[in-house]
Amino acid sequence: MTQLTSQPAPSTVAPSTGLLTEMLSAGPDHGTPWLGEIRQSGIRHFQRMGLPTTSQEDWRLTNVAELAKIRFSPAASGKAAAIGADITRPWSLRSTGANEFVFINGLFSPEHSTFSASAAGVAPLAQAAANPLWRESVFAHLALPQTNGFTALNTAGFADGAFISVPADLIAEAPIHLLFISTEAPHATLAQPRVCIHVGARSQITVVHTYVSTGGQPHLTNAVVELAAESGAKVEIVKLQREAQTAWHIGQDFIKLASQATLQALSLNIGGAVVRNNVQVRLDGPYAEATLNGITLITGRQHVDNQTLLDHAFENCPSHELYKHLLGGQASGVFRGKILVRPGAQKTDSKQTSKTVLLSDDATMDSQPQLEIYADDVKCTHGSTTGPLDDEQLFYLRSRGVDAATARSLLTYAFAGDVLGRTWHGPLKGYLEELVVAELHRLHLDRTTS
Amino acid sequence: MPMLEIKDLHASVGGREILKGISLAVNAGEVHAIMGPNGSGKSTLASVLAGRETYAVTGGQVLLNGVDILDMSPEERACEGLFMAFQYPVEIPGVSTAYFLKAAVNAIRKHRGEEELDAMDFLKLIKTKMKLLEMDQSFLNRSVNEGFSGGEKKRNEIFQMAVLDPKLGILDETDSGLDIDALKIVSKGVNSLRGPDRAMLVVTHYQRLLEYIVPDFVHVLRDGKIIKSGDKKLALELEAKGYGWLDTAA
Repeated sequence: MTQLTSQPAPSTVAPSTGLLTEMLSAGPDHGTPWLGEIRQSGIRHFQRMGLPTTSQEDWRLTNVAELAKIRFSPAASGKAAAIGADITRPWSLRSTGANEFVFINGLFSPEHSTFSASAAGVAPLAQAAANPLWRESVFAHLALPQTNGFTALNTAGFADGAFISVPADLIAEAPIHLLFISTEAPHATLAQPRVCIHVGARSQITVVHTYVSTGGQPHLTNAVVELAAESGAKVEIVKLQREAQTAWHIGQDFIKLASQATLQALSLNIGGAVVRNNVQVRLDGPYAEATLNGITLITGRQHVDNQTLLDHAFENCPSHELYKHLLGGQASGVFRGKILVRPGAQKTDSKQTSKTVLLSDDATMDSQPQLEIYADDVKCTHGSTTGPLDDEQLFYLRSRGVDAATARSLLTYAFAGDVLGRTWHGPLKGYLEELVVAELHRLHLDRTTS
Repeated sequence: MPMLEIKDLHASVGGREILKGISLAVNAGEVHAIMGPNGSGKSTLASVLAGRETYAVTGGQVLLNGVDILDMSPEERACEGLFMAFQYPVEIPGVSTAYFLKAAVNAIRKHRGEEELDAMDFLKLIKTKMKLLEMDQSFLNRSVNEGFSGGEKKRNEIFQMAVLDPKLGILDETDSGLDIDALKIVSKGVNSLRGPDRAMLVVTHYQRLLEYIVPDFVHVLRDGKIIKSGDKKLALELEAKGYGWLDTAA
């Protein structure tokens, strides 16, 4: 599987690992020597590659060198039980009927989780290690440790995570919500969750993974998600990145779709200081279909870099991609969408769109499509727009009595809202719409006070 | 006191003066037509009155019921009872017509110190106005002007005027792009809004619209100034003789 990465840094330059080396110890092997070996390979690959540098083309616009200078400690563990149950309230999705699995500082916390016994198939990783399905078809099969420094680091050190396994022919009505909370600490903290999802043939499920923080200290989330959907499965996966503006967030989702499997992915980025998302989808059988949507709402000095790869390996696969960015303050956004059409992947039909509204003169956006096509009977289109809100639209609304602030909210909501309109799960869609309205309000407040 | 009083209005765009001293008084209950050749400043006048920020007002006054509106934002002017029907209504994808109109109606009601309409009362209000403009119910859920034909857009403008109930309606080239059937529907809507408490300013290039919306007064604009005023017969004269006729008359 082609990875969305560049070549390792030139060997003449020592890999940059810095203080992160101190964090480089193998996580638990859960009594499985095989897992221990994979963790060791993660360590070796991290030492060899180090952190990505801006001399690598796909990291050119996101500088993570600073991470090597921060002394991270593992996020406090073992104290989760002492944290009140209401810590989850601001981010809970229980109102949508979701089964909620809460991870505090990277570790599963049953005390904070709410799920029905019938939410079968979700296990903390400590138990997953014993599951042959986990290790034979998902874990470290989609996200290889050698992909980049961050997958290596995660593979070496992830402490916990979830394995969601949906058997064949099951339609799960309730979404599964994985809520990752980084709590306040007197020092910089690191959390490395690992999520593996296997969706059986013709099954259907919605999974939401949320990342939040309660403290204002610098912290790093280095998350890896691996998702394999079998033939005819329908999977909706929603990522809500809502961490503090002191957070570094590296999130990498590796997805593989068998024939006729359908994926609907949404990535909503609101928080974080420096955020990098890699989403790569391999359409690994005929008539697989992928939709990748994204909304970025940031301000201040936030930086969000979204990189996607749609890897068309088989014929007759449609893919659709729509990323929208609303940038205020001095925020900077990056979107790089790559469409790879492999030899033989005829009748590929791929459409990519990136749209940006700049809410201030100092916000910047870098949007770049990349097409790599090795088949001759395909349809691939891409388009990108960047600009301020439309003055004519603003004037039109205002000339009808709507005040300027409300007019801006209306227009920005209209801009972002059509992405949410495609959400499959009804109650979740309602939740997301309210969330985006509230966040836009915050964005506009920032605008008027700055 | 006239409802609208324009005194020696000057306005420019990009340093170029477009309006070169316009004075005009419109009383409640009156309909005034502003005619003139292309580039005479007709649409600029409409835009300046509505508060479009691309134009800089360099002199003069505009009084609406005795209050100078030139320092007001477009939304304040709308709340004070001014409405402009756009020559080119703007498409706003993602904002439904119903949502947009409810926001507008309630903003204006709030300004007037009236209670905001709830969903039921709002629906009742717009349904009667939709009938007036022969509009289909489905259009409420469509995005504002998105994918509308030229005629639908213009009808939507007059429909909005009917819903927002302004004191002063300004129609900017409302007849452009309309076929005869649409023109009749739009004119019927406008005429039903005429009344002793409302004034209208009808900006048009052609006399055709004025057969359906019969004005009390006609003013001819040329090179940023009103060069001739008269009653409705002036429009017919212009139609017969063309704008060139005024070169000799003026």
